Amino acid sequence: MTIATANYDLTPQEKKFVGWHLILAISALSVGSLFGPLQAFEHAGWDLYPYLQPVFKSYYQGLTIHGVLNALVWTTAFITGFLTLTTIRGLQRSLRYPKLNYTGFWVMVVGVLVTAVPLLANNASVLYTFYPPMKADWLFYVGLTLVVIGSWIEGYGFYFTMAAWRKEHPGETYPFIALASSVTMAMWQIATLGVAIEILTLLLPWAWGMVGGIDIQLARTYFWFTGHPLVYFWLLPAYLSWYAMLPKQAGGKLFSDSMARLVFWLFLLTSVPVGFHHQYVDPGVPDSWKFIHSILTYSVAFPSMLTAFTVIAGLEYAGRKRGGKGLFGWIKALPWDDPSVVSQLLAGILFFFGGIGGITNASYNVNLVIHNTAWVPGHFHLTVSSAATLSFMGITYWLVPYLTGRKLWKPKWALIQAWMWFIGMLIFSNAMHVLGLLGAPRRTPLGEAPYVPAEWNGHLLRVGIGGAILFVAVYLYIFIIAKTAFGGEKASESEQVTIPVAEPLHASPIPAWMDTFKPWLIGAVLLVVIAYAPVLIDLITHAVGSPGFRVW
Amino acid sequence: MTTKPIIEIDPYEKTWMRISLGLLVVFIIMVGVAGYALGFQLPASETRVNPQTVATDPNSPWSNPGLRELAPGKYEVYILAQIWLFNPREITVPVGSTVTFYVTSKDVQHGFKIQDTNINMQIIPGYVSTLTHVFDKPGEYPYICTEYCGSGHAAMFGKIIVEP
Amino acid sequence: MPKKQPEEPFEPKGTIVVMAIFVVTLIVLWGSVYYILISRGVTL
Repeated sequence: MTIATANYDLTPQEKKFVGWHLILAISALSVGSLFGPLQAFEHAGWDLYPYLQPVFKSYYQGLTIHGVLNALVWTTAFITGFLTLTTIRGLQRSLRYPKLNYTGFWVMVVGVLVTAVPLLANNASVLYTFYPPMKADWLFYVGLTLVVIGSWIEGYGFYFTMAAWRKEHPGETYPFIALASSVTMAMWQIATLGVAIEILTLLLPWAWGMVGGIDIQLARTYFWFTGHPLVYFWLLPAYLSWYAMLPKQAGGKLFSDSMARLVFWLFLLTSVPVGFHHQYVDPGVPDSWKFIHSILTYSVAFPSMLTAFTVIAGLEYAGRKRGGKGLFGWIKALPWDDPSVVSQLLAGILFFFGGIGGITNASYNVNLVIHNTAWVPGHFHLTVSSAATLSFMGITYWLVPYLTGRKLWKPKWALIQAWMWFIGMLIFSNAMHVLGLLGAPRRTPLGEAPYVPAEWNGHLLRVGIGGAILFVAVYLYIFIIAKTAFGGEKASESEQVTIPVAEPLHASPIPAWMDTFKPWLIGAVLLVVIAYAPVLIDLITHAVGSPGFRVW
Repeated sequence: MTTKPIIEIDPYEKTWMRISLGLLVVFIIMVGVAGYALGFQLPASETRVNPQTVATDPNSPWSNPGLRELAPGKYEVYILAQIWLFNPREITVPVGSTVTFYVTSKDVQHGFKIQDTNINMQIIPGYVSTLTHVFDKPGEYPYICTEYCGSGHAAMFGKIIVEP
Repeated sequence: MPKKQPEEPFEPKGTIVVMAIFVVTLIVLWGSVYYILISRGVTL
C-alpha cells in the first residue's frame, strides 16, 4: 500500500499517453473550427463557401465536419485523456492494464481517420446526427463506431484500475476525482448502446444493401437514446474540474464532498432515459411517453442545479480566504489573472444561460416555440462549446504545462483568449436564441434562404460578428498551446505545475451505498428499460421501411 | 464500513435543494396543465404510411394533396414534403379557420414549421405528423422546412394566406 | 481521503444571492417563452 501524497506525479509514459489524447483532440478542433465561422459568416451575408468549391463542396459539408470534429472528436479525445489523468491521480496508482487503454486510444485514432475519408470526400454530408434515410458512405458509420468502441475500451481500463485499487485499499472510500471519472464512463457506456444498436442493426446492413429499408422513427429513437446523454458526457468532466480542481486553483476547498458524489451518482441514474425530449415533435412517439421523458429530463436538471450551488460555494470560500468581503467582494477577490481559472469561471457564467435554455427545451409543449430553430445551436454552443469546451481550454492551460514541464506561453494572451471566447459566444448565442424565437430554422444557410424577413438581418449580422471573434479566439488558443508544448520555456524545479485537487471543506463519512456501482447501475438500467422498452417494442413491431437517399 | 447510511448535507445546500425541486415541480405542472387541460399538444399521431407509395397510391390522401373543407370554417390540409418543396406550396383560407395539418414525406426527413404559430413538426417518411391551428388574424404565414434535407433545403417553403 | 477534519465556520451568503439571481433570471426567461407558447394558441 502506498501513502497518498498531495503531489502525486504521473510517470513520463503516462504523461505522454495523456498528451497523445490532447494532440488528437486539438488536431480535430483545429480542422473543425475552420467551418464554424464559415457558417456564421454565411448567416451574416459573407458566404465564403463559393471560394472553397474545389475542396469543400457545400455549407452542409462544412457543417458536418464542424459538428463531427468539434462536438464528437475534440470532446471525446479530450475527455478520455483527461479522465485517464484523473483516474491515475485520484487513485494514486498506475492503470491496471495500460496496454488495454493504449489499444482503446489507437482504435479511436483509426476511427477518426476512417470517418475523415468520406467526410472530406463529400460522401457523408449528413450532419453529425446522420439522420437516415440520408445515406452516408458506410465508412462514415464504421469510423464513428470505432471512435465509440475505442472510448469504451479506455473505460474498461478505468474500471479494472478502480477494482485493483479497491482490493489494495479495503475499507477506504474511492477518491472523488477517480470515482467521478469512472461514473462518467459508465454513464457513457450505457448511453452509447443506443447509437451502437442504430449503426449495427439498422444503418450498416442498410448501407451495405443487405436490407432495402429501415424505420426512420426507430433510428431516431436509438440516436437520441445516445444523443442527449452525450451532453452529460461533455459536461461531467467539466463538473469534475469545477468541483474538485477549480476551488484548489482559486485557493479554496470543495464545499461538499458528499454532495459532489451524490450528484455524479444521480447523473449515472438519470442521464439516459431522457431522449424523447429531442423528439417532442416526432410523429411516431406516443404523447404520454414524451411527457414522462420531460419529467425525467427535469430530474436530470436537478443535479446540475445542485452543482451550481456547491461549485459557487466552493469559489465563495476561496474568495473569502483571499480577503473578499461582503456579498460580492469574494467574486472580485478570485484570481482573475489566472487564465485557467478565468476560462472555467467564464464557462460557468455562460452555462448559467445554457442551463436556463436547457430547461426551456425540456419543457414539453414550450419546446414547440423553439424546436429545430436557431435557438437550439444557440443553446448547445453554451453547453458543449462553453461549459465543456471553454473549461477544457482552461484545463489545458495547466495540463499542458504539467505534462510538458514547460511554462504556459504568455499567460496574458491566454487570458485575452478566454475573454474573447466568452464575448464572442455571448454575442453569437444571444443572436441565435433571438433568431430562434423569431422562427429562424437551424441547419440552414440563412444567407440564401428566400423567406428571411428583414427583421432577422441585424441578428444574422451579430451571428457573423460573434463567429469572427470565436474564430480568432480558437486559433489563438491552439497557437498558445502549440507554443507552450513545443517551444515553451522549461519550468524550473520550483515552477513545476502540480495537478490541482481540492480538499473537501465538509468531509463527512461516505456511506457504503454511495461508494459502490452496483445499485446505481441496476437503477440506471431499470430506468432505461422502463422509459424506452414500450416505445421501442412498438416501433420495432410496426416498422416501416425507407430506402436511402443521397441528396447533397 | 460502519458509517451512517445517510450523508450529511449543509443546511444552506438543503434549502437550495428544496427551492430547485420546487421550481421544477411548478414548471412541470404549468406545462402539463397547458398540454392536457388547455390543448397545447404535441404532434403524435402514430399513423404509419408507406413512403414509397404514399404519393402515388390513389387511396392515399397525399396522391392528391391540398385543402379539404370539412364544414364552414373547418379545414384539413394534406401536405406532401419532398426534396425540395412542399406540395401544395400555397394554401388560402378565410380568417377564423380551424385548420388541421397532415404532413408526411416521400423521401428524406423534413421539418414543418408555420411562422408565428405553434405548428412545429418533424416530418418523417413512413409517419404522419399532425397538429391544428386556428388562424385568427389575416395575413401571410410562411411554412418552412426546418430539418436539413439536402442541397435545396434552404429554399424549401410555402405559405398560408389568411384572407380577411 | 482524510477521515475527519475540524470544520471551519463558513456561511455561503454570497452564493445564496447568486442563486437567487439565477432563479429570477430562470423564471423571467422561461416564463417569456411559455408566454409566447400560450399567446400563439392551442394546437388541438
